[in-house]
Amino acid sequence: MKPAPFAYLRARSVAEALEMLGASAHRDADAHTKVLAGGQSLLTLMNLRLARPDQLVDIGGLMELSRTFEDTDSVVLGALVRHRTLETDPKLGKRLPLVAAAAGQIGHVAIRNRGTLGGSLSHADPAAELPLAMLVHEAVIHVESATSGRRTIRAEDFVESIFTTTMQADELLTWVTVPSARPGQGWGFVEFAPRIGDYAQAGAACLVTVAPDGSVAAIRAGLLAAADRPLVVSEPGDEVSGIPTHETWERLAAHWTRNLEPLTDDPDHTRHLCRAALSQALADAYRRARTDQEEAA
Amino acid sequence: MSAPPPRVTHGPGEPYVGTSVPRVEDQRLLDGRGRFLADLAAGALSVVFLRSTEAHAVIESIDTTRATDMPGVVGVYTGNDLPLARDYIGSLHTPDPGFVAATGFRMPEQRLAILPVDRVHYVGQPVVALVASDRYLGEDALEAVDITYRPLPAVLDPSASLAPDAAPIHPHLPDNEAGRIEVEFGDDVAADAVAVTVEGTYRIGRHGAVPLEGRGVLARVDGQRVSVWTSTQIPHLVRQGICEATGWSVDAVRVVVPDVGGGFGTKANVYAEEVVVPVLARLTGHDLVWVEDRQEHLVGSAQGRDQVHRTRLSVDREGRVLRWEDDFLLDIGAGGLWVAGVVANTAIHLLGPYRIPRVRLRGRAAFTNKTITAQYRGAGRPEACFALERSLDDAAGRLGITPVEIRRRNLLTAADLPYAQPLPYRDGVPIVYDGGDYLRCLDSVLELLPAETVERLAAEHPDLTIGHGVGCYIEATGRGSFESGRVRLTSTGGFEVASGAASAGQAHETVFAQVAADGLGCSLELVTVRRSDTDLVRHGVGTFASRSAVLAGSAIRRAAEQLLDQATGRAAQLLGVSPDLVKSTASGFAAADGSSEWEISWADLATACAPGGAQEQLGPLDVVEYFHPETVTWTMGAHAAVVGVHRGTGAVSVLSYAVAHEGGVEINPQVVEGQVIGGVAQGIGGALLEQFRYSPTGQPTSTTLAEYLLPGTCDVPDVQVRHLGVATPCNPLGVRGAGESGTIAVSATVAGAVEDALHGLVRVSETPIRTGPLRAAAEQIRREGQ
Ligand SMILES: Cc1cc2nc3c(=O)[nH]c(=O)nc-3n(C[C@H](O)[C@H](O)[C@H](O)COP(=O)(O)OP(=O)(O)OC[C@H]3O[C@@H](n4cnc5c(N)ncnc54)[C@H](O)[C@@H]3O)c2cc1C
Repeated sequence: MKPAPFAYLRARSVAEALEMLGASAHRDADAHTKVLAGGQSLLTLMNLRLARPDQLVDIGGLMELSRTFEDTDSVVLGALVRHRTLETDPKLGKRLPLVAAAAGQIGHVAIRNRGTLGGSLSHADPAAELPLAMLVHEAVIHVESATSGRRTIRAEDFVESIFTTTMQADELLTWVTVPSARPGQGWGFVEFAPRIGDYAQAGAACLVTVAPDGSVAAIRAGLLAAADRPLVVSEPGDEVSGIPTHETWERLAAHWTRNLEPLTDDPDHTRHLCRAALSQALADAYRRARTDQEEAA
Repeated sequence: MSAPPPRVTHGPGEPYVGTSVPRVEDQRLLDGRGRFLADLAAGALSVVFLRSTEAHAVIESIDTTRATDMPGVVGVYTGNDLPLARDYIGSLHTPDPGFVAATGFRMPEQRLAILPVDRVHYVGQPVVALVASDRYLGEDALEAVDITYRPLPAVLDPSASLAPDAAPIHPHLPDNEAGRIEVEFGDDVAADAVAVTVEGTYRIGRHGAVPLEGRGVLARVDGQRVSVWTSTQIPHLVRQGICEATGWSVDAVRVVVPDVGGGFGTKANVYAEEVVVPVLARLTGHDLVWVEDRQEHLVGSAQGRDQVHRTRLSVDREGRVLRWEDDFLLDIGAGGLWVAGVVANTAIHLLGPYRIPRVRLRGRAAFTNKTITAQYRGAGRPEACFALERSLDDAAGRLGITPVEIRRRNLLTAADLPYAQPLPYRDGVPIVYDGGDYLRCLDSVLELLPAETVERLAAEHPDLTIGHGVGCYIEATGRGSFESGRVRLTSTGGFEVASGAASAGQAHETVFAQVAADGLGCSLELVTVRRSDTDLVRHGVGTFASRSAVLAGSAIRRAAEQLLDQATGRAAQLLGVSPDLVKSTASGFAAADGSSEWEISWADLATACAPGGAQEQLGPLDVVEYFHPETVTWTMGAHAAVVGVHRGTGAVSVLSYAVAHEGGVEINPQVVEGQVIGGVAQGIGGALLEQFRYSPTGQPTSTTLAEYLLPGTCDVPDVQVRHLGVATPCNPLGVRGAGESGTIAVSATVAGAVEDALHGLVRVSETPIRTGPLRAAAEQIRREGQ
């Protein structure tokens, strides 16, 4: 379990990182350069020799990408913000409680201390928590390259399929803009894993917006591990009339998981798990929204 | 007959045995000062192994030229390059002829090649060894070894493997039968006596020990000798394996055991790597080290379990067992040097702690193209227990009595014990359960964890449906043939203790010191237990099969007593008094004759027998004892569990667990409790999570710890343990083995609790327990509002 030989470069600035990525892409189309962030996915794959980059560009020292900015309606997160920061930072937790809950479910503390938001999104594991949280939040991902400059990609368009994103080889994920929680909005995040710390077998995230009278104004919900990428499953046409009950969530969850084709050994079982996670997440989100409203009143 | 009550602290003049003195090894092991195999590697070149990528194939060619030219490579070796006297490792256990005669036991000779040159038998089998300046360059160079395989059909199912038309996997054998046994006794049962007969098929998955530390071997040539450090439980058997394969004399090989981070049977085996590394050290003249990585471990270290039982149990109207039949199959993979042990263990422990008048058992072991196997903690006992206990639960359900009740009606009680079975043990000695009262264990475990606990836990966990289960087991412990114990007075008046029973982290350094200190009558601080080394004790067997406390403990006890005896005579001589006036004290000896008093310390005695001392001619005080038990001694226990099944997912959580255990004298009660709790944790892993899986072509798919799921702290609840000690007359300490006890009944107990939680809507007949069917049942219960 030792990696194949590789060259190692450590970037001192974003510009230098972009140059390093651009130069190698330019020099040799076959040469394979990879960004190294927290290393919690990449180094494992390299040790198993399943990933064999010729060169690593280590961005771990770029303090600028560890920063976060709070806007009125959104929070801007640097690519190197650690899972553990998302999970435990009280200010972030208040603005992005769904993200905090999702981050807290990733692996174990040691992994969360090193793993980064940019790494998790770029790695694009269909069972990962943060890509789903970003999808449900309708986040916008900022990427940059030395040749083609900056562009933004909506979270919905970011993942192409399993372990594959729409980023180019010379692009660096730099920032993520996440619309923050709004009044009347409650969140739910539920996942099922064989053991605490494992990648989920099924998981659901949702934001439920509730009107002052207790009726449901909007739902955005998604699933992880249900396909080759995180999926939005809420269908805006499926209005919830009146005050929802336990059965409402069960019915919606059953409806929204009916056509899933999970890529697992036992798709039927996985479909059931997705349904159970979703109905619980929806119920939790609604309950939280109501509690907030009552507290505000 | 009861063992003395355990003491927490040790008072002056009291024996150390029976006291929970803190483990002396923990300071070192917990603060990072342990010296494990990999910690010794500095200065050695690395050996890396190219392992078979095929489950079953003919090796058409191996070309090492490209690899030999790679940077850092010292040499590349195939089986043809090794100067071996014999190219395989021999069986590690042959049952006594008396047992063979009584059970029709048979097994063929296994000859799995140390490094095969013509055929591979499982993915992970070492094929080529490469010596390089470091592991990184070594792994790079492995990629340049060119092997051409011609794949053969992989045999993965033991029934298919034993089918009459199946092609033999091993060319020197006529078929794929690796062992067989038949046990039958008791009179036929009258048909009208039978109230219920249940039949079942029970599968126990392929599980393994997966210790924290993998294996590893370091070899160093020193003139005519080779010293081998290896992470093993059985240094003397490793030495024997090396000598048989190489033809080297026993005097030319020294095997040393460093700190070992867990063994559980997977390291009670002799491996190809343990032969190849010293052979290459001789060939190259370099110090060489191989440290197994986790990926190698999960395909290349011995695994266990993997059994199928087809059972038939008949009971009368009262639930009394009338007849018990089981036809079982073991999948031992490409080989198993302990096949005799596991086959016999399975058959013997199928008799259980019950009165069973009529028994018919038939077992067969099959070769397949899976990883090799050895004796994983319990080694046949958990499998036997699962088949019997599950059948009892089934019969109870049919009769409409509780699982507790059917056991209550069949367990052996004080009135039945000692209880003879009409069968010899593996050592040829007729089986007699030497226990006290097995029913007491069941009563006791229900006191610890009564069935009513379900209601309290149901209120605490609305998302779970809750159930209670029980399971009982029996365990033969302390098997011979012998173990060594050495006690030696050091030059400064302390004592060194050594044994062939190597520690894998248990607590040998503490408990053997307790035993020796009691035998010597000295204070515990004077005693140091050395790690096992074939130069310290020339003969030995090892740590496995719940035997170390019983055998090594007894040998050490006798050696200590004998040393004390010799020393008393010498002290008397030095003091010029009659030996019967000499009394031993915590620090040495004292004598008094009414008018005068004398004292002599152990240090004075050491000086006296050193060169220039008054007793130089008598030589050092140094005693080696071998303890040969007459036969095994039996441990029994009852387990109870409360589990919750998640209503949405079918996932099982073990919420509460208890073990009541009839062992013997406890040398160190806290250590025994730790063994039991650790055993339960490992049992929960097997019951719920662990499984070595294979693709249809024989590719292992559990090759990382993301696929082979071990239980974590969150998966194991607090375990209550009650010890109901009954001293055995079988050994001078009165101890019974406890190393495997905790693990044996876990799968059966958890399975029973799961069925109870789901109101009997599912039958759990395999491990690890699949959650899909449980989820469906939980949903049904919810729908029906039960
Ligand atoms: C035992 C274990 C358990 C885990 N459990 C979970 C879990 O339950 N859920 C989960 O989501 N994850 C889990 N992870 C993975 C963890 O979350 C990783 O941290 C994450 O997937 C990758 O982040 P990283 O910063 O470590 O990225 P790295 O491993 O450094 O990189 C991952 C990939 O992203 C690319 N990359 C990284 N940063 C950038 C960037 N800024 N721009 C462009 N490309 C980039 C790299 O080139 C590489 O291809 C687990 C990891 C381990 C070791």
